[in-house]
Parts: sequence; C-alpha cells; structure tokens
Amino acid sequence: MEGSDSVEQGGGDQPESQRRRQLDRLDREEAFYQFVNNLSDEDYRLMRDNNLLGNPGEVTEDELFNRLQQIKDGPEQPQNNNPSTENTEDPVETPESSEDSQGGDSLLDWLNTVRRTGNTTRTGHRGNQSWRAVSQTNPNSGDFRFSLEISVNRNLAEQQAAAEGEQGPSEQPPAGQEEEEVADPEPQVPMETEVVEEPVVEELAVIVEPEPEETPEEEVASQEVVEEPPSPPPPPPPAPVVAEASPEQPPPCSSPRRGQRRPRSRSPEPRRTRARLARSRSPLRLDQLDGIPGPRHTYGSQSPSSSTDTPPVPQVEGSSRTRQHILSRQSPADDNVHPPSVEAESIPEAQNVRPQEGEPNGNEGGSAERRPPTIMLDLQVRRVRPGEYRQRDSIASRTRSRSQNSNNTFLYESERGGFRRTFSRSERAGVRTYVSTIRIPIRRISDAGLGEATSMALQSMIRQIMTGFGELGYLMDSDSDSSDSNRGTGTPADTESLTNPDASNADASAADEQPSVAAAAAGARERTVETDVDEGLTTGPQASGGRARLRPPINLEEPSSLPFLRLAHFFLLNDDDDDQPQGLTKEQIDNLSMRNFGESDALKTCSVCITEYAEGNKLRKLPCSHEYHVHCIDRWLSENSTCPICRRAVLVSANRESVI
Amino acid sequence: MQRASRLKRELQMLSTEPPPGITCWQTEERIDDLRAQIVGGVGTPYEGGIFSLEVKIPERYPFEPPNIRFLTPIYHPNIDNSGRICHDALKLPPKGAWKPSLNISTVLTSIQLLMAEPNPDDPLMADISSEFKYNKYLFTEKAKKWTQEHAIQTNKGVVEDNKENAPDQKLSSRKRDALCSQQEAEEPLKRPCV
Repeated sequence: MEGSDSVEQGGGDQPESQRRRQLDRLDREEAFYQFVNNLSDEDYRLMRDNNLLGNPGEVTEDELFNRLQQIKDGPEQPQNNNPSTENTEDPVETPESSEDSQGGDSLLDWLNTVRRTGNTTRTGHRGNQSWRAVSQTNPNSGDFRFSLEISVNRNLAEQQAAAEGEQGPSEQPPAGQEEEEVADPEPQVPMETEVVEEPVVEELAVIVEPEPEETPEEEVASQEVVEEPPSPPPPPPPAPVVAEASPEQPPPCSSPRRGQRRPRSRSPEPRRTRARLARSRSPLRLDQLDGIPGPRHTYGSQSPSSSTDTPPVPQVEGSSRTRQHILSRQSPADDNVHPPSVEAESIPEAQNVRPQEGEPNGNEGGSAERRPPTIMLDLQVRRVRPGEYRQRDSIASRTRSRSQNSNNTFLYESERGGFRRTFSRSERAGVRTYVSTIRIPIRRISDAGLGEATSMALQSMIRQIMTGFGELGYLMDSDSDSSDSNRGTGTPADTESLTNPDASNADASAADEQPSVAAAAAGARERTVETDVDEGLTTGPQASGGRARLRPPINLEEPSSLPFLRLAHFFLLNDDDDDQPQGLTKEQIDNLSMRNFGESDALKTCSVCITEYAEGNKLRKLPCSHEYHVHCIDRWLSENSTCPICRRAVLVSANRESVI
Repeated sequence: MQRASRLKRELQMLSTEPPPGITCWQTEERIDDLRAQIVGGVGTPYEGGIFSLEVKIPERYPFEPPNIRFLTPIYHPNIDNSGRICHDALKLPPKGAWKPSLNISTVLTSIQLLMAEPNPDDPLMADISSEFKYNKYLFTEKAKKWTQEHAIQTNKGVVEDNKENAPDQKLSSRKRDALCSQQEAEEPLKRPCV
C-alpha cells in the first residue's frame, strides 16, 4: 500500500485521492470477506494453499473468482503451475532492476512465483556484488530448483588490504554506511599489484531435498534441472573452486576429475548474461544418490553436469598475475579432490569454478582483473507427499563432526530438526574451499502448500542458507574495522566471531547457528562479523606472509543491496537462531475445528481483524477455545504456533516446545 | 491482511476512548503512518514531558507488529538514540511477544509502562542500562534533564534544576546532537539487544 514515508507527495488533491483509494480498498476488503465466506471448505483450502487469496482488498472479487476457476481447471498441477501467474519468462534477464525491489518480501514472492511458473532467471548487481538466480521447475514432478550465485568482487577489499596503512578503512564503508557504492576502486589499482591474488574460493551449496527416507518412486520421478555452469567464453581466472561437500555420487559419476574445478570463465565485462544463457540443464540423477544419507545427494546433480560442461582449463585472464594464481589454485584443488583423508562420503570435490562475474567495478581494467569469490546457493526442492517425513521430523538432532586439521580439511555434519547440514572446508596451497550443504525436508513446503506457509518454509530454508553464510560471514558484511583485521591474522574479536569451523564442528549442532547469532548480537543493522576462516589453517602453504593480506574481508556494501542478503540480514536479525519451525503446516491447521458462525452465538469479535463475526462467517476454534475467522487465524498460524489471545501452543503434542 | 479495516477500527477506538496519557492520530490521511504522544508518568523521570512517537503500520499488520519509535529524545535503557524501542511486544514471536490480538493502543500502553519501568536486563543502551542499575540517582538526573530539554514544551511547568538548563539549553541540545551522531556511528557495538 502506501509507502511508509511521510513525505508529502502531491498537491492538495492528494489526500482526496488517497481517501478514495482507501475507500476502494475497504470495499474490496468487504467483498473479499464475502467471497471467502461463500467459498466451500474445499475451495477455500484450494485457494489458500495456492496463495490465491492474497490480502483482503488487494484484488477484486471478480479476480478472486477468476483465480478460483483457474485453479480448479488445472487441478493436476495445483501447486506448481499456476496459470494465473504472470511471468513465465524463461530466462529473462532483468539486469539490475530486480534487486531494487522492496527486499525480503519481494524475493519471497518471487520465489513463490518461480515455483509456479517454471524457469526463471534473474540477475542483478550492485556495487561489488553481482548475483544471478536461476530457478527451474519440473512441472511433472514438481521439483524445484533454485540456485543463486553471488559473486563478490574482492578487489576493493584486497586493494585496501594492500593499501593498508595509507588508506585505512575509508573505502570500505564502515558498517553503517549503507548507500555507498563500492564501485570505484580505481585509485587503488596500483596497489593491487602487490596483492597476491586471493585464491579463496567459497561456495555454498544448499540443497533442499527430501529426506532420504523418501520413497523411491518419487525420487526417480523427479528430474532436477541442473543448473549448468556457463561454459564458455574466454575463461577468465578460474576463480573459486567450489568443492562440494557432497561426496560425489557413487562411482558412476564421481570420478574425481569431475570434481575438479572447472574454471568457469566469464569475462568480466559482459556480465553474466551470456553465461546465464549458456546454461543448460541436464537431468539430475538424484535417484542414484538416494538412500545415501549424508552429503551424497547433494550434489549429484550438480557436480557431474557442471564438471562436464566446463572446460577445465582456466584461461588466462588479463593479467599475468592472475595466471599465476590460477596455477596455484588449481593445484590445490586437485589435491583437494584426491585427499584420501577425507571420508568417503565427504570428499570435497572441487566442483565449480566460478570466476568472477564481471563486475563493473572490477573496472580497473583487464589487467587488474581479479576474480571475485562467488557464492553459489543451490537449492533443490522436491515435492514430497505430505506426511511422508513425519518421523523424520521427530528425529532428534544428531551431530557428527570430524575434523582433520592435519589436512586442513574438515567435515562437519549436523542434523537437527530435519535439517541436515554438512560443512566442509579444506585448504591447500592457499586455496580454501568451502562447501556447505543444507538439506531441508521439503515436507514443510509441500505440507504448507503455497500459501503464506510457503513463504515461511522458504524463510526457514533461506535462514538455513544464511546460517551457512554466517560461517562465511565476511562475505556478507563488511567489517567496520576491516583494516585491522586485514592485516593481522585476525584480531581477537575476529577469531572469536569467526566461526571457526574447527571450533564449531566440535560443538554440537548449536555451533552452526553461532555465527549468525553472534552476528546478530553484534550489531544493529550491520553485523560486522569477521569470519576469517583463515585462522584454523596454519598449514596453508601461502599462509605465511600473505595470508592476512590475502583475505581482506569482503566488503559487501550494505547487505541490503542484494535482496537475498538483505533477506538474510533480516532473518539473522529478527529470527531466533533456532531453526525450530514456527508455523503450523497446512495439515495441522486443517485439523483444527472449523464451524460457521450462527446467529445463536453470543456476539463475538475476531481479535485478529477486530471485526464482529457475521452470519455465515467461517470460524476456526483453537484448542484453547479461542475462535477467529478462518482466514485470519490461518494466516497467523502459518507462521506462528500459538493462540493470538492466550499464546498457548496450538499443537499440544508438537515436537517443538511450546512457545510461550 | 485485515489492515485497512482493522486500522480504521483501531483509529476510531483511539479517538473515542484513548488510553490515559496517550493520544494517537493519523497523519496526513495516511492510515499507515501515525503519530502518538505519551505523557511521561507521574513519579518517573519523564514526568511533565510529552513524548512523540512515530507509529508505522506494516503491510502485514496485524500479523506483524507496528513499528514504533520515539521522535522525542528520551534517556532510557531500552530506547536508543534514534528512538528505537527494545520491547518484546514490538517483535514477532518466538523472540517477541507480538500477537494479533494486541493493537496500537495496547502497545502504546505497554510502552508507557516501559518508560515507567525500564528493563535493564534487556538493554538497548548498555551504558544507560548499567547506570540505571548501579547509579540510579545519576540515571534519574540525566533522564530528567533530557526530559527537560526535549520533552517539555514550555519551561514554565518545570521548576527543578532549571537554573542550569535554561541558559545553555541550546548548547546542550547541540551537544546532544553531536553525541547522538557519534553514538550512532558506533551503534553496532552498542546494541546488544537487537
């Protein structure tokens, strides 16, 4: 609705038109209630689950009716393909615009849309970050895959590091300064030369998939679309090597080689557009992986395909320097692939190499070019029948961790509340590889349907993802005193907050959350978590002198500049660290009793909308006997689990503890 | 969701039967941007002051709490320099205690209560909080002073230590601005309660 700023926008007629708009809206709201009340239970559920109801007043009754018809017409693919949705864009590229949108909600909306519409690609960039999101939906299976790749141009940070003394933090926007565009590093370019290229590769892969228990059929059915690495062009510096934690799939696909990073080249300038286009999809074969607990599934899809696509040879980029790096980088990567030490399941493979996306601000010219680290999120969602994972949900958290410091490789696995998360890191010759895989039972999503609950489900996924990021926190936030941290091995503070992987693994699952929590605590809007993962590794070859310098914290300007990160920011700040589910699933909500309001009832008011019940209104009664309009309470319960009046937990036997 | 109609009702209630010491009204015909005033409670360091607040109603209201902040500077352990309030009713569960059956009126009332009873164990302003805990006298004096400087429109009503304040009011408020901006800069460090 109206924006939140109180700035007066117009002339005198403004209030008038605004009032009219409000009146219209009120009318539509009335109509909405009427419409909802007239729906049969089934229709109501259908619409709610498909998120077709929207907010009261948002659309007209006719529109609602149309939606209902549409959804009824195409029952086979109720949740995924919603005819009414607008964008069916295939790879449409929306360059920079997309990210400006309102932020969290818009991203969620978009995710929802994506689920329904099929394949979409979006990209954007700002400052030193660029991102590309690709989503693909397989209408038949309902599988959904979302991948987000963020690349950060480290130039700035590195330069600064190089410049250390002289420049100080000035460039790096201290935490608080949001708007600063990081784009112009030029002045410092010269400095760069001295800086050793940062070999660090980070990739975060998040895969949401059904629990292992999943029924085989389903899995087979699903074909995931694999997001392909853009194969092509002149390979710039192979950047980050991504190792996937996932032990590669079984033999067939898992030849180590594949794992190697394929230098994914993208020439900086053109921005990722073409790369995007280049993507191909290959069917995943997760099926093979199924049943294998652990990291296995994770990558099945991705690694094989990606590896194949990309030419292994890193090309020379602009500067000689770069080349060198590449070399160094590669070798380490290979090592990573092979290290015997890693458990079979968790062999980190270097999977993708994502060179930087050309960031405009990398503009120092070709010579200076550096590949920014890229973060890739890979989210795969498969449809699972509701209820399937019940037991799974009740499984207590398990955590396993192993660390092999000797190798600079460690693997950390934790499982809790149905989220399984693995994190591994290895470092060789100055190349750090991170793989974080998070599996989230999709049950929550499918159960919850696409309604508001979905956004909640997505939120929880994303929160998980971001938790992963917490470990790589320096990617997300700039450190206010970055200069310090740059040069030192890390100020004490850094070390602490650093979610030192080693430390964290040792800890119980709680460890995962730490970064984010700490981060949240640390600061208001700007968290300055310096997650220098470096600390752990003393072994890294280059570690000696260069290290500190090598890893200047990356400065993503304000997290908010990237919708995704903004979202993350939001979650980190506002959510409890717990991944404890908060909302009820659609099923659970439907199990609550419902009735029609009758004249005989004593006059009552729904305390959510503060409206008196009218004849024929559908009410839902919670176990605590409090009643509300169905549409009011359902929305609340999709994200919360307590009664709005007495705060009693709605689910008595919930496996979550009852929230007070 | 029910935002528009609910707000309409709430505003009606606020104008017909406002809670004691609280007023709330709509600004410029916008239903999502309200102003409120809370009168400092008797017996509190805020006595005699009138504190203005900004109340913004999120799109998802009442499923999300209203965003409320103080426009009038106030010296309080749970309220920061930019007026943000650390209060559980203003946050969503599980961390917070917002629930749709609360409304603007009840939330403002609880803020009024918070003014009277700071919660130093969940501080937003760590230093004020420790002052409140360990040097209450100093806290009270400062809070009064701030009230005096910022929340009292006419100086007549206030007798206490005016001597000092009145002359250098301008000065001190300038000082405070400086202080504010400085603190704002280091805010991240100072706000354990997010």
